Amino acid sequence: MSFFSWAWDWITQSANWHGSGSIPQQIVAHLGYSALPLLIASLIAVPAGVAIGHTGRGGVLVVNLANGWRAIPTLGLLILLAVFLGFSFVTWLLPLVVLAIPPILVNAYEGVAGVDHGVKDAAKGMGMTPWQQVTRVEVPIALPLILVGLRTGAIFVVATATIAAYIGLGGLGRFIIDGLASDQYGPVAGGALLVVVLAVLVLALFALLSRLVVPAGLRGQSKLGRTE
Amino acid sequence: MITFEAVTKRYPDGTVAVDALDLEVPAGKTVVLVGPSGCGKTTTLRMVNRLVEPTEGRILLDGRDIREQNPARLRRGIGYVIQQTGLFPHRTVEDNIATVPVLSGWPRAKARARARELLTLIGLDPALARRYPHQLSGGQQQRIGVARALAADPPVLLMDEPFSAVDPVVRGSLQDQLIGLQTELHKTVVLVTHDIEEAIKVGDLVALYRPHGTIAQFAPPERLLGDPVDDYVAGFVGFDRGIRRLSFFASAGLSLKTAPVLGAGATVARAQDTGEPWILVVNDGKARGWIPSDRLGDYPGDTPLRQVPADGVGHTFAVGTDSLRAALDAAVLSPAGEAVGVDAAGQVVGVATFDQLRAAIQAADAADTAEAAAARAAAAADNSKKQDAAPAEEAEEGAPHPAREASPVPDSHRGAQP
Amino acid sequence: MMWSWIPQNWSLIWNLTWENAKLGVLPALYGLVISLPLGIVAARWRWFYPPVLTVVNVLYAIPSLALFIALIPAFGLTDTTVIIALTVFSLCVILPNVVAGLRAVPAPIRQAATAMGYSALRRLVTVELPLAIPVIIAGLRVAVVSNISLASLGQLIGVSSLGYLFIDGLQRDFPTEIYVGLVLIIVLALVCDLILVGVRRALTPWEPRRERRERQERAVPARRLAA
Repeated sequence: MSFFSWAWDWITQSANWHGSGSIPQQIVAHLGYSALPLLIASLIAVPAGVAIGHTGRGGVLVVNLANGWRAIPTLGLLILLAVFLGFSFVTWLLPLVVLAIPPILVNAYEGVAGVDHGVKDAAKGMGMTPWQQVTRVEVPIALPLILVGLRTGAIFVVATATIAAYIGLGGLGRFIIDGLASDQYGPVAGGALLVVVLAVLVLALFALLSRLVVPAGLRGQSKLGRTE
Repeated sequence: MITFEAVTKRYPDGTVAVDALDLEVPAGKTVVLVGPSGCGKTTTLRMVNRLVEPTEGRILLDGRDIREQNPARLRRGIGYVIQQTGLFPHRTVEDNIATVPVLSGWPRAKARARARELLTLIGLDPALARRYPHQLSGGQQQRIGVARALAADPPVLLMDEPFSAVDPVVRGSLQDQLIGLQTELHKTVVLVTHDIEEAIKVGDLVALYRPHGTIAQFAPPERLLGDPVDDYVAGFVGFDRGIRRLSFFASAGLSLKTAPVLGAGATVARAQDTGEPWILVVNDGKARGWIPSDRLGDYPGDTPLRQVPADGVGHTFAVGTDSLRAALDAAVLSPAGEAVGVDAAGQVVGVATFDQLRAAIQAADAADTAEAAAARAAAAADNSKKQDAAPAEEAEEGAPHPAREASPVPDSHRGAQP
Repeated sequence: MMWSWIPQNWSLIWNLTWENAKLGVLPALYGLVISLPLGIVAARWRWFYPPVLTVVNVLYAIPSLALFIALIPAFGLTDTTVIIALTVFSLCVILPNVVAGLRAVPAPIRQAATAMGYSALRRLVTVELPLAIPVIIAGLRVAVVSNISLASLGQLIGVSSLGYLFIDGLQRDFPTEIYVGLVLIIVLALVCDLILVGVRRALTPWEPRRERRERQERAVPARRLAA
């Protein structure tokens, strides 16, 4: 049997849609476990990235941060925290927030730092205060890259929330981890498929968001993204 | 209007970009700062709107120290045009132009209306208002940059190599446009360029920089051409400055002779009677061609001139409004070696020989030299007053350079720099 | 932190490290091998790239554990599953860099080579690819570092790697193992990264060192292009 047939069989079993720990419950839980860290990380990383990009100080640090971040194994970090903090809210929230920050931060920084130097000079020279320069000029122009960073962060938290099931978190990862433990490939495949669908939906959502939010004048130019 | 008082810009690593600069930019004039790369001209410009802060000295705008004003507010009152345009890619053309008015609190509709006015003023189709910058050509983008700088009607306009990034044809038309705008608007313009031709063409006053942040000569362009203060200036200005200087002398004083000018119906005999080596044939007042006198001999005396084959006219010059340089050029291009002068309607007024041109040039030169000497004397009197007030410094050996126009730093002060 | 555990279990640690290193490097190399021809085509025929890029973006969005799982029926609970999955991810990172690196070769250089009589293939191999090396290796570095960390996830489906130390450490409530695992993965990633930097230096003797290079590398994105 293929991956899809295993997954499909399991997903279409109506028993899995009722009771506690059912598919719809875990989907909602997973969305929550992804959205909250993403939100917190964005609130920290976007302003920080924009500020560093605007002033230009600390840029080298930011770039190196991105490289270092990729080397950290999320499973290991989650497990380490579980050992010390127990299986609690903070144990999964903290690493998810901290690990979601680098891609968002780096892209926000790159977006703002990459704004054409002449444009920045003109904005300042025409009499915009720093706040006006950032909000009226630099951020709108950096928006495509900021969105790429948010998208990367979003997909990252969806994936990592899945893994966090290993240290007891609910959500779609539950099906995978429990299934692996009990040698049942059905839920494993089903959970994996649902996670993939969720990730692709996030991708589509951001594509739509980008079309809606990015200023028309920028779409004519090629957009280069920095991502994980 | 803008006054620099002993302004110095020194960077932490020790480089001195601007060195004890004294400069006076009069209101309503175009002052061009020109010099080699790295000479400090751009730094000077950017100190006016406080994008760069001086290390020493102060800058006055309309009598007020610019440091007393909030920088952002100061800049809203100064137009700023840069080489890369810096147009906001995420905004339409009209919103780009409307930037400063909106920042200053105008209602958006009013600001946009003003933007469309300006589009017409700078010679662009108002239909472009809703386009985005990347959809326009380089020349159009530059013009929009200028329009944007003018939107809030600032009295001062700063331009940093605004035309360097476009090709020479477009550059020429943008320069002409600036000159035209100035005759209407009379802004105080400070323009930075590395192109001495642009400086001479566009500037009412030109400040020529030495490589390290001081000014060699600050004078009207014809003075730079006619009376360069030293070899550096003469070299920078270029080798045929004598002829280029003639652009600044009007052809009004040029005397013309009418003897060689005959109608197409006049006879060969009449032409031969004038004794002129060349005859200019006109038809209905318009120049038709030159006929050398030896050709006249091939034709019977009663032949009307229109039947005698004529050589081309060459180039004509407009009497009074064109410069002596145009007149000289016309003479060089004419087969007769004589310049054909026409009036506003294109009717021939007379011709000028090389001798007459020479006389006019020498007269203009004499007048200009007298003016230059007077200006030098005035500046010397000015400087000696300054020297009395300043700490005593040994004057340079034999004071080889006379003190210059306006008030750049006299030689003796240069030794005072740390 | 029980330091003595390390020398006692040296062979285990060494084996796991070696496995993890293989799982980190091999997929990146396979990914490179696939990316090169694809990237060359995409750089040359511009219409080809956007659909490819969309596919790449979608593939890269797939959480790694899910992709491991999806491959199990076909390849079993073996190394192969992890290697194939990581090859796909490496491809997603390296391909855009191959394209970007080739496209970043200035047109005047390409034209000069053609004008001097280079055939398209020769120009590609002797001029364009060498100049694209820094960008391509930048992508390779990202791929290798990510792979080393992602390989540890393979332990969840029983594929041997340093991830074993996390899981074992959790089960036995033995933090020392977990620390060792974390540190080794990060060190391994760092070492591989430095090796690749050395490779790049060796392959591009004409490149300026340090500061100018950083600015160049940032001028061309080392990672994915947004669709």
